[in-house]
Amino acid sequence: MADPKLRILVVDDFSTMRRIVRNLLKELGFTNVDEAEDGAIALQKLQGGGFEFVVTDWNMPNMDGLTLLQTIRATPTLKHLPVLMITAEAKKENIIAAAQAGASGYIVKPFTAGTLSEKLNKIFEKMGMA
Amino acid sequence: MSANNDSGDLEALFDSIAADFSPAIPVTTVATPKSNVPTGDDDDLQALFDSVSAETQPPKVVESVERAAAESLSEAWPSQEGVFNRIGHMARALHDTLGQLGYDKLIEKTVSALPDAKDRLTYIANLTEQAACRVLNATDIASPLVDDMENSSKALGARWDKVFANQLSTDEFKALAIETREFLNKKIPQKTQETHAQLTEIMMAQDFQDLTGQVIKKVVGLAQELESGLMTVLVEVMPETKRTEEVASLMNGPVINSQGRTDVVVNQKQVDDLLDSLGF
Repeated sequence: MADPKLRILVVDDFSTMRRIVRNLLKELGFTNVDEAEDGAIALQKLQGGGFEFVVTDWNMPNMDGLTLLQTIRATPTLKHLPVLMITAEAKKENIIAAAQAGASGYIVKPFTAGTLSEKLNKIFEKMGMA
Repeated sequence: MSANNDSGDLEALFDSIAADFSPAIPVTTVATPKSNVPTGDDDDLQALFDSVSAETQPPKVVESVERAAAESLSEAWPSQEGVFNRIGHMARALHDTLGQLGYDKLIEKTVSALPDAKDRLTYIANLTEQAACRVLNATDIASPLVDDMENSSKALGARWDKVFANQLSTDEFKALAIETREFLNKKIPQKTQETHAQLTEIMMAQDFQDLTGQVIKKVVGLAQELESGLMTVLVEVMPETKRTEEVASLMNGPVINSQGRTDVVVNQKQVDDLLDSLGF
């Protein structure tokens, strides 16, 4: 398993979903989790430094998840960050757009704890963090 | 809130927008009737149409003034004027068609039901949020209880393993027996009861489904009424050459009905397969 101290930012405009993702991450052993309610706030927190992983929704006010992802990939200090998208957007063009923008993983809602765990591990393996 | 309040708001909005443009066409301000008497939708529409048609066919006296003003202004205005004209004509046509078809009463009824629908949807949002919080709180309480039972059982089990390996003294064995009895008779039942209470809480939190289900049915009925009314009107009014194209957007929210659609995925496996096939 990856470092349990891994600092993760969970970005979703619904507090319930943030809480669920946070709880699932806790069950997987990750307790160093912070939250942001949209892309703009997330970007501020990320630019503050210290984060090693981003889990984000797509459809959010102010700045959506795809824009956040594109901004992260275009920012030299952040572009290495793994970004996992958890979203209700299920059109094929969404998935392709996310992949092309450099998403590390894509999970459609509703999702299970097993899916989250599987995708996280896959990303950790790819990043050599496992 | 009544329909009249709403049309008052709309009228105020229209006035404020029209006011922004008033320097462009002095005629408008002259021609726009400033009747604020709540006379009902028919009169409002009539007034709107009058003001728009006054724009398109300005009295001869002011025509030259308007032309001069329009010429001196930026080139953006003619296109906006065209839009206003078309909206005006559409409003007139819509108004006439509605009256002819008898839909005006239906639309009036539906429009007056919209604020009610807004309240109902807010009610649903509140109830579902409350339910989610209740469930998450219950799991927050129950999780440590279950964890504690698991850890205590494992600790006792490890000590019993020592008994079977003959690694415990008689005194230690006695203490273990007493503790185990206490654990089985008191600790476990207490924790399971507390966990059970949280399970009941989770179950009870699902009562929102019944309440929101009823409200959703009503709102869906309203939306269908409004849709079929508006669709019929649109079909009557819209020129045959006009076709709406589906707006390509990347923010559509959850797929409500995937049947017969090839542009969406329905489960995580399809997401993974798609990404795999693209080499991601």
